[in-house]
Amino acid sequence: MTDHDSDFDGGASGGRETSSRRRFLAASGVTAVGAVAGCLGGPGGNGDGSSGDGEMNEFSLGSFQGSGPFVGSRPEPSGTSIRDLPNLSGTFGVALGGGEGGLYIDLFEELEEIYPDLTIEHRTAPSTDLANTIKQEADADNVQQDIFLSVDAGSLGVVSEAGATQQLSADAISSVPSAFKDDERNWVGVAGRARAVPYNTNELSASDVPSTVQEFPDTLGGSMGWAPSYGAFQSFITAMRLIHDDETAIQWLEDMQNAGVETYADEFQVSQAVADGNLNAGFANHYYALRVKAWNDDPPIELAFTEGDAGALVNVSGAAVLTGADDTAAATDFVRHLLSAEAQEFFATRTYAYPMIPGVQPVGDLPTVDELDAPDIDLTELSDRGGTLDVMREAGLSV
Amino acid sequence: MSATDRFERVPSLPSSTRDRQSLVLTLLAGSIALTLLTPMLWVVLQASQVPLDRILEILLRQETLDIVLNTVVLVTAVTIGSVLVGVPLAMLTVQTDLPFRRFWTVLAAMPLVIPSYIGAFAFISATGQGGAFTDILAPIGIEQIPEIDGLVGSVIVLTLFTYPYVYLTTRASLLSLDGRAIEAARSLNHSRLSAFRRVTLPQLVPGIAAGALLVALYTLSDFGTPALMQYDVFTRMIYVEYDAWRLDYASIFSLLLVGMAIVILAAESRIERTDEGEAYVNRGTDRPGTISLGRWKGPALAFCSTVALLALIVPPAILLYWLGRSTGGIGGSYEFQWIYAWNSVYVSSLAAGVSVLAALPLAYLSARGESRWASLPERSSYVGYAVPGVVLGLGLLYFTLHYVDSLYYTVDILVFAYVVRFMPQAVGTLRSSVLQTDRKLVEAARTLGHSSLSAFRKVVLPLVMPGVIAGAALVFLTSMKEMAATLLLRYPGFETLATYIWLVRSSADYGDAALPALVLIGVSGLSMLVLLWRGYDVQE
Repeated sequence: MTDHDSDFDGGASGGRETSSRRRFLAASGVTAVGAVAGCLGGPGGNGDGSSGDGEMNEFSLGSFQGSGPFVGSRPEPSGTSIRDLPNLSGTFGVALGGGEGGLYIDLFEELEEIYPDLTIEHRTAPSTDLANTIKQEADADNVQQDIFLSVDAGSLGVVSEAGATQQLSADAISSVPSAFKDDERNWVGVAGRARAVPYNTNELSASDVPSTVQEFPDTLGGSMGWAPSYGAFQSFITAMRLIHDDETAIQWLEDMQNAGVETYADEFQVSQAVADGNLNAGFANHYYALRVKAWNDDPPIELAFTEGDAGALVNVSGAAVLTGADDTAAATDFVRHLLSAEAQEFFATRTYAYPMIPGVQPVGDLPTVDELDAPDIDLTELSDRGGTLDVMREAGLSV
Repeated sequence: MSATDRFERVPSLPSSTRDRQSLVLTLLAGSIALTLLTPMLWVVLQASQVPLDRILEILLRQETLDIVLNTVVLVTAVTIGSVLVGVPLAMLTVQTDLPFRRFWTVLAAMPLVIPSYIGAFAFISATGQGGAFTDILAPIGIEQIPEIDGLVGSVIVLTLFTYPYVYLTTRASLLSLDGRAIEAARSLNHSRLSAFRRVTLPQLVPGIAAGALLVALYTLSDFGTPALMQYDVFTRMIYVEYDAWRLDYASIFSLLLVGMAIVILAAESRIERTDEGEAYVNRGTDRPGTISLGRWKGPALAFCSTVALLALIVPPAILLYWLGRSTGGIGGSYEFQWIYAWNSVYVSSLAAGVSVLAALPLAYLSARGESRWASLPERSSYVGYAVPGVVLGLGLLYFTLHYVDSLYYTVDILVFAYVVRFMPQAVGTLRSSVLQTDRKLVEAARTLGHSSLSAFRKVVLPLVMPGVIAGAALVFLTSMKEMAATLLLRYPGFETLATYIWLVRSSADYGDAALPALVLIGVSGLSMLVLLWRGYDVQE
């Protein structure tokens, strides 16, 4: 039973640049009627999935949003609607990394509701397991599945390095800022997560939280918590190593420990401890504070973000078309569906993730992805978690 | 050795036939053992990619040494704990006038049906501040139960759910105990305690050691319990490196784990060899007389009840407590289907069947072989049992994809994985059964003109049947619980109870995970009852 894979974590790939906020035709979910645009898909072979033909049922945006606590006052999502994408049919084999409590499976079920001829056969396992499996399949020239959907971008990097991916068309992923997709178009981000500093609003105000990570040991360090064994924390340290160097990371880890930072098992616990007043602040992925808010009555917790350094890292879950897909165009159309306004709304409202297309807003009062000052690093390099383990051990942390 | 050796060579058989038969058996056992070791090929290949100086650096750094020490402490403590629980339970249910003996006999074996990761989860969520126990016990004035975690928590949980290995093997030894020796000792003025120490115990030691071996190796390879209890051991180190894309490092640690397993195996072999080697042989039906518990009846019952309460009542009770409660997970509605239960039963049954068939030659050769190498195939089969599931799964994946890719994406690869991981349990029980059958019976059948195969079928097989059933039961139960390798090797659409538990557990919603966990325990429990009642040693 692996606990490290239970959530969004890990990371790699894509160069962060300023995103151009492209507006796509506003498809106000409920009313627009499906027009089959750009039928790229041919008929699939060997029972593979295909696109362009097949039937489509009527659906509502509400079934994508679910009934979570942040749904109430949301603006209509804009972007390409599922109604404007080629219909999907046949069978798609999807390697689905991570659990997310079957949430992504819910998305698949929504798609199967819409397309009666569509079957999605998913094989769900920890992302690391699947990446290693696909890598081995690629070595034996026997990649089985069409699509890899991973909660860990590092896994996507490993798979594309193994030559197991097919290039996505530039058109299909044009709505995603270049920071969140591979330069070679081997994969694309479908949902993002930001590093954040949850703080207790009874103890601190937003201005008390320093704007760079390096200032924390001398300011809030003694009343903070972290979860060093957690994958996302390790990606954060990896980012620090990439921006500065190993020595800086070791020094920072030592300074934080000397300041008296408290260790927790995971970042949900860190966030809960902040809300309970046991900590003034912590290091955690942004969505944990939202989960704490969703399950408690107005807890005193808010999020702060550092500026332009590792503390503001935005990492992604992403999708790749595998060499196992006979019909690349159809598989690409499947990926387009994950980037549709409805699917992005799903990721935002159900998993509290950052949407990857500019037409869909993050939940709550989170800053949009453009407003975050994320560091300019190549996400693929975050897969060097081994080097980070060495650094953390060097700093006396048990990982 | 012993008197029976004189009957070894049956004059009526030409020695060339004997040699040929023993050669066939050796070849068969050897190739089975090699097949079981195939997943290790990948592990060795991965490890060989790391330069030697780096290997030394990894092995000698403080963290590695700490973790070796932690692992040794855990394995030792759980093994001792299991002996302290399992042996008294076996003695009470076999040798005393414990009330409801048959009931306790079955109950004492039942904790095997509960996966240790579920047990660990139950104890963690039950104890400490805000735990379920605190909720339940608050009305009767108990305010707080200390949190069970770390080393203590790991030892308690692993002991509670692995002691049945020791219980079952000790019980089998007790049932074949020669009562006349004890009576002789008593008549020579030895006290009951002294007779136990000088006569009974030496005869029990190999049985206890066989069970303790399984406990030690299980503890060595278990990831879930120490991880949930936050106690740092080898398996967690392997997962950390695996997760950081350092398969080569993970492989080195896996080989180190195998090394530790070999040490344990060697220790157990020594214990067995120092014994006279004949303790197992059942010469007659003279069982030792029943010991009257007298005023110890109360404490004995209290002991049995406490173990049953902690191991069998607490986990299902906690699961029922969570059932239908929402605990702040993020939702997800991947619904439970009964086909998952059927899938689990189906692959686990196949694994049990194949394991028993494959174990027989190894066990027979090890028990009856004359060469000092005869035990090698049997001993080497334990390697798979000591390796964490994810490493074994990747090794199997490599072997399958490169050499037998027709197996890939079938149920067969899962069966193969379970056989590699869990067959040693069947080898162990079968070996003791073979040792218990008197060779003279086979020789007699042979002199009456039966071929060796026919003698085996007519004489040996009926006698080893309890061992076959016990072995099949153990493999079945552990296969039902297997999670790590199953996640890697199953094909799309094929979910077992364990993989479904993983799937819903990751939503952090305990309420959703409670139902499949209860079904897993229920289905395993029922299968266990059927097995126990049908053949295994309940009717003494």
